Amino acid sequence: MIEVGLLALRLALIAAGYAVLASIFGARKRRPDLVASGRAAAYVVHGLIVVAAAVLLRALLQHDFSLEYVAAYSSSTLPTNYTVAALWGGQQGSLLFWTLILTSMSSLVLLQNRDRNEALMPYVTATLMTTAVFFLGLLVFITDPFQRLPVPAREGADLNPLLQNYWMMIHPPSLYLGYVGCSVPFAFAIAALATGRLGDVWIRTTRRWTLFAWFFLSVGNMLGGRWAYEVLGWGGYWAWDPVENAAFMPWLACTAFLHSVMIQEKRNMLKMWNMVLVLLTFTLTIFGTFLTRSGVVSSVHSFTQSGLGPYFIGFLVTVIAVSVTLLVIRRPLLRSDNEIDSFLSREAAFLFNNLLLVGIAFATFWGTVFPVISEAVRGVKITVGPPFFNKVNAPLGLALLFMTGVGPVIAWRRASARNLRRAFVVPLAVGFAAGLILLAAGVRHYYALVCFSLAGFVLTTIVLEFYRGTRARQALMGEPPVTALAHLVNKNRRRYGGYVIHVGVVMAFVGIAASAAFRIEEQHSMKAGDSIEVGGYTLTYQGMRSSDTPHTASMLAEITVARGGQVLTTMYPEKRFYKRQQQPTTEIALRTTLREDLYLVLGSYDDKSGLMTLQVFINPLVVWLWLGGITMVLGTMIVMMPTAAEQRALAAALAVEERAFA
Amino acid sequence: MNATQSDLEEGLTCQCGCGLTVHACNHLQCPSGIPLKQEIASQLALGKTREEILSYFSGKYGEKILSAPTTTGFNIVAWVMPFAVVLIATMIIVVLTRRWRHRPQPTEQTPPAEGDPALRARLDAELDRWDA
Repeated sequence: MIEVGLLALRLALIAAGYAVLASIFGARKRRPDLVASGRAAAYVVHGLIVVAAAVLLRALLQHDFSLEYVAAYSSSTLPTNYTVAALWGGQQGSLLFWTLILTSMSSLVLLQNRDRNEALMPYVTATLMTTAVFFLGLLVFITDPFQRLPVPAREGADLNPLLQNYWMMIHPPSLYLGYVGCSVPFAFAIAALATGRLGDVWIRTTRRWTLFAWFFLSVGNMLGGRWAYEVLGWGGYWAWDPVENAAFMPWLACTAFLHSVMIQEKRNMLKMWNMVLVLLTFTLTIFGTFLTRSGVVSSVHSFTQSGLGPYFIGFLVTVIAVSVTLLVIRRPLLRSDNEIDSFLSREAAFLFNNLLLVGIAFATFWGTVFPVISEAVRGVKITVGPPFFNKVNAPLGLALLFMTGVGPVIAWRRASARNLRRAFVVPLAVGFAAGLILLAAGVRHYYALVCFSLAGFVLTTIVLEFYRGTRARQALMGEPPVTALAHLVNKNRRRYGGYVIHVGVVMAFVGIAASAAFRIEEQHSMKAGDSIEVGGYTLTYQGMRSSDTPHTASMLAEITVARGGQVLTTMYPEKRFYKRQQQPTTEIALRTTLREDLYLVLGSYDDKSGLMTLQVFINPLVVWLWLGGITMVLGTMIVMMPTAAEQRALAAALAVEERAFA
Repeated sequence: MNATQSDLEEGLTCQCGCGLTVHACNHLQCPSGIPLKQEIASQLALGKTREEILSYFSGKYGEKILSAPTTTGFNIVAWVMPFAVVLIATMIIVVLTRRWRHRPQPTEQTPPAEGDPALRARLDAELDRWDA
């Protein structure tokens, strides 16, 4: 069976290479038969990768410990769901999984465009398959997932215990979908550059793909934060680890692209800039994968470290070289049809929003690579940790939050005094009032105050937009309020879905600011029967419980939680010992309310003295970060629903382009 | 735990490989974080200032123990660069925009409204038919 997987990978590499050559050659020589064969080869690659992945999955499920991969990342006692997740738990498997997603998306794109975009598609196929060639090359020549052990192992080493939780089932696939999703707009961008068809077609064709990638990048980042929060047990959700940064940077670039694309669609401006952003987003996804695997920077995600760094660098350099060359060649075609008339305009606001997003991405990039630069320049190893990123990114992030309120409501071209008054007087008043009230209530944390005031400002701009839109429909159509609101959103899904996403962003900002500024954190040593008071809660340690399974052994501290004399709940922070890997993990206990999270960590336990150390965190409003994430998901779904107007716009753009190139 | 203790713990990186600050690392019997916390406490007991204690640690364990770059020497580049890039980019945008505005405009253009490409395409098609 294993040989089938091996063979499938090799054939896939050959087929992918053929798809690249046939597509480009076919397009240049105007040979539709060659182009069609390239497309067919891409489908074949997909099929072969499905076979290879199925073979590896089968080996995992059958505990075939003669395979190095299976022996390294699973064990016979590992629960089935984590055995499936082991497919992306190690290096070779995750590369194969990546290739599986990439080729699945390629097939989907080819199917969607089977009788559309004839000029662009050969280059799209070639670009996607070039990426596939790179990953398949790694799988075939460098890091073979089907490597046999010289002597079959009797038992597997098991999956890293930190990965054995349900987040492992959804966080990596989500992030991979986001990462790989970015290849589709990238492929269309390269195709547009290669063919010189730089109008709206490629942008309108890939809009939903870009949103799809952005959606999964957002969800992936949020799930990663939630995972860290629940599993790492230090009370926080984001540590600016290089690999977290690696997932954050493409998200920022992609967010910038989604915004600046609107300027191109409406005003035919920023064509060059949009190209740069889409190329940058893809480059950052590859850079992120490189960071995870190269070991050039130390990270908590080092379970998949390897010597693949140089290959990724090579691929990155190639991608950048090709992109820049194409951009330079096509520069004349990327000129703007329009220009910025005033800095008080939506165009300028969006530009500034882009600047901030890319600025945060750059600051994050800079902090991530600075240790390497420092070592090269001074020969001194230094650390760039959370304090740096928080200090540098906080002001940029707050400026971005401000622009979230300005961008969507300021007028196009040149804002009149009347427009500014109508759009901003009330929201600014609300923002200032919120700040003053909090100041009077004793809040002295500078960043938190600014953040809450801005949140008030942005939320008010959004509420006003919904209110005015609904009122206008009520007046015009005579609809009752709820119907008017529903129709308003339904008729302008992009606009009002976007506002919903912005509400989610504001919620996330509030959650982050509150939990960063007002966190309570204490550590206590307790004996059974002891009580402590933390942040209004009375925590009583009732005693230690234990549990045992073939896979794990656990110690659980029973803690009753009371407030004002009333028992609220019993919590069980846990130490879990994974027998196979001989490794202990911390399983936190969590009580979430809209106001705050009570987060308990069992530090240590001494059997002789009966002394237990309990870490208590109270994280105010942190749930709003996750609720914000969910709101962003809902908003994105509204935005992504297809509309007839959009289809018409795409058809029209296609017609325009066909005529131009006829 | 007073504010200075936790502030100093935030200022140092745990060397156990977790990548977190000493304050955030909560590994059971962490071979790096726990001794460092004790060392911070004993340094505080000597009545030293934050700067003195941080430079004591960086002298003893090397600069990599600090959780953020210092603000001296080449390290300043780390702090200044992100803001410099944003500022320079802003200036470039302003200059470019100025230059665009001073460029003679061939025709007065109005921003196309929603759904305009469809109308434009229809217009083009009708004009084509007219020409033919």
